[in-house]
Amino acid sequence: MDAPLLAIENLRTYFYSRARRALIRSVDGVSLHVAPGETLGIVGESGSGKSVTALSAAGLVSAAPGVIGGRIELRSRQARRNLLDGLERYVRVKERDGRIMAVEKDDRGWRRRAETLMKGVRGKEIAMIFQNPRSALNPYSTIGAQLVETIRLHTSVKGEGEARERAIQWLERVRIDSPRLRFDNFPFGMSGGMCQRAMIAMALSAEPSLLIADEPTTGLDATIQSRIVDLLAQLKIETGITTLLISHDISVIQRLADRIAVMYGGTVVETGRAAEVLAPQAQLRHPYTAALLASVPSAEAIRRKSYLQAIEGEVLDTIDVPRGCRFYGRCNRVTEAIRENCASLEPPLGEVAPGHKVRCWLYPASGKA
Amino acid sequence: MKFAAVRPVSRVLARELAVTALLLLGVSAVVFAILYLAPGDPLNVLLEGQSPRSELALGMREALGVPRTWYGQYAAWFGKMLQGNFGNSIRTGLPVLPELARVGVNTLYLTLGSLALTLLIAVPIAVHTAAHGDTAGNTAATIGAYILSAVPVFWFGYIVVYVFIHKFGMFPLISGTATKQAQAWLYFLVPIFVLGTASGTLSEVIRHLREELSRVLAEDYIRTARAKGAPVWRHAFKEGFLIPVTEIVSAKIPFLLGGAVIVEQVFNWPGMGRMAWQAAQDRDYPVIMGIALVAAAFVRFGNLLQRVVFTAVNPRASKE
Repeated sequence: MDAPLLAIENLRTYFYSRARRALIRSVDGVSLHVAPGETLGIVGESGSGKSVTALSAAGLVSAAPGVIGGRIELRSRQARRNLLDGLERYVRVKERDGRIMAVEKDDRGWRRRAETLMKGVRGKEIAMIFQNPRSALNPYSTIGAQLVETIRLHTSVKGEGEARERAIQWLERVRIDSPRLRFDNFPFGMSGGMCQRAMIAMALSAEPSLLIADEPTTGLDATIQSRIVDLLAQLKIETGITTLLISHDISVIQRLADRIAVMYGGTVVETGRAAEVLAPQAQLRHPYTAALLASVPSAEAIRRKSYLQAIEGEVLDTIDVPRGCRFYGRCNRVTEAIRENCASLEPPLGEVAPGHKVRCWLYPASGKA
Repeated sequence: MKFAAVRPVSRVLARELAVTALLLLGVSAVVFAILYLAPGDPLNVLLEGQSPRSELALGMREALGVPRTWYGQYAAWFGKMLQGNFGNSIRTGLPVLPELARVGVNTLYLTLGSLALTLLIAVPIAVHTAAHGDTAGNTAATIGAYILSAVPVFWFGYIVVYVFIHKFGMFPLISGTATKQAQAWLYFLVPIFVLGTASGTLSEVIRHLREELSRVLAEDYIRTARAKGAPVWRHAFKEGFLIPVTEIVSAKIPFLLGGAVIVEQVFNWPGMGRMAWQAAQDRDYPVIMGIALVAAAFVRFGNLLQRVVFTAVNPRASKE
């Protein structure tokens, strides 16, 4: 594998729940690597921490305490740095039995530090697209003006007229009809799909090294969703852009991702090549991944008019994280042999096949506890 | 950045001006009706207590050319008004319009000056709180501003007069002795200070701007602006600053005018407020009518400004 463009190591992003006076462990020790040119898909239920992981990487977490530990190593041609460099000087944690019980963070100090680290990175090296594109675009400004702003900020194109031409080219590249007319449109006059195309054009117009797509199809009509996925697939071929794709929709991940990370309760429970992780016949897989795949309606199941298979139980509450495996309470594959481990020890992310790792006690190949 | 289009703004302007004309017509009719129904008669003032039914009064009426019926009176006033003649003051005999222009400048100076002061204090507090959350500094500033706003303007005015003029003699009363006239220019700042801080506008500007700005700063499109490395203020300015400020200013203009009447009394300020008060004492109908129209026009102008800014800035508004 090439040296990764983005390497996230042991990332921890916590929030504070005022209502329950407790820490929400949204992202609790996540490690991920994205190689140049590849698309890494992060999949998981709502609340699994996948979006917070993405926002942490882009330095966009605003609630307190936010990112409290880990490394986010960016190695692009223009910028090579740890985006969390020096974070430990602003954070003090109180641990008990290896568990973080309280966090003190100099939020203002870290924010200032993060701004300098993010200079020339946010928007330029790491561009981002979001869900609900219509509200993600500025309603008070035309599509064209927003593209021109990005182009003049981040590329060598500084002239107004030149930037305008470049913006129109980008609108063409994301297959927007009559881009010259659309240039002067405001977001409210455009459909959701059109807005997402404009968002994608805006993100790519900065010529970034990494594109983070945070639920890019959520909030769009079903037919529009597949068009946006088509567009992203085509742009991936055309531009070769490295992508971190976040989605709860397995079919979107299946279409676009080269590698997959499955997240549950703030941790990565399985990672590997997309074909391997999603292969219908795969034996070595995390019970959560299996349940997730089973809950996707297949054409055959629809024909047989069988019920959708929901995953039993509720999404893990990341405030009261259990001692053992996070999926233990909902898992239907616990055997007597491993029950004790499952209940009391968190399994490590062990390699079950080359490049394929699973966090489960079912696979002793995963190594020592 | 481009505005939606220029035409809708001019259309809004034309419509608003038409509404203003109708509104001023209504205001003149209502004020006239109130004056007509209210007890008292301007002739009483002129005749200094002699019966308005006396020979003298009737003669006076003839001389002034006052029509007998109420509709005749209104029609006569209205006809002249359309020609730009608001009549003469019954008390002083001076034409109303030039007099209004003379004192109106002073009121304009007082209200606009105090508005500027209010914004100068309120905007930094509101913006800082919206951007950085509650800190010890901005909480203290907000509480201070709220207390000042809660103080009645006439009371605060007298306290200021007492402390700074009588106690410390820092600056003279305008009609005072000639001893300390060197600092006379300072005197012009005191009423502005009082109206700008204690009129109740201060707290409302802080509250409205702070709430609107922090709401906008939490919008998805501001997150997008941050994600693309663009200056946040550039994206938040229109919805988070320009629109709320014009909204609250236009809403507070009537209160500002009301406050000006009081402040002008307290500080003996030669403005429209004091003139209105005097005219009401004298039942000086032409002056009251004139002032009512000018005040209504001023309030309308604030609304109009707000509508125009909103339409120019908001692409959705111009497509209605």
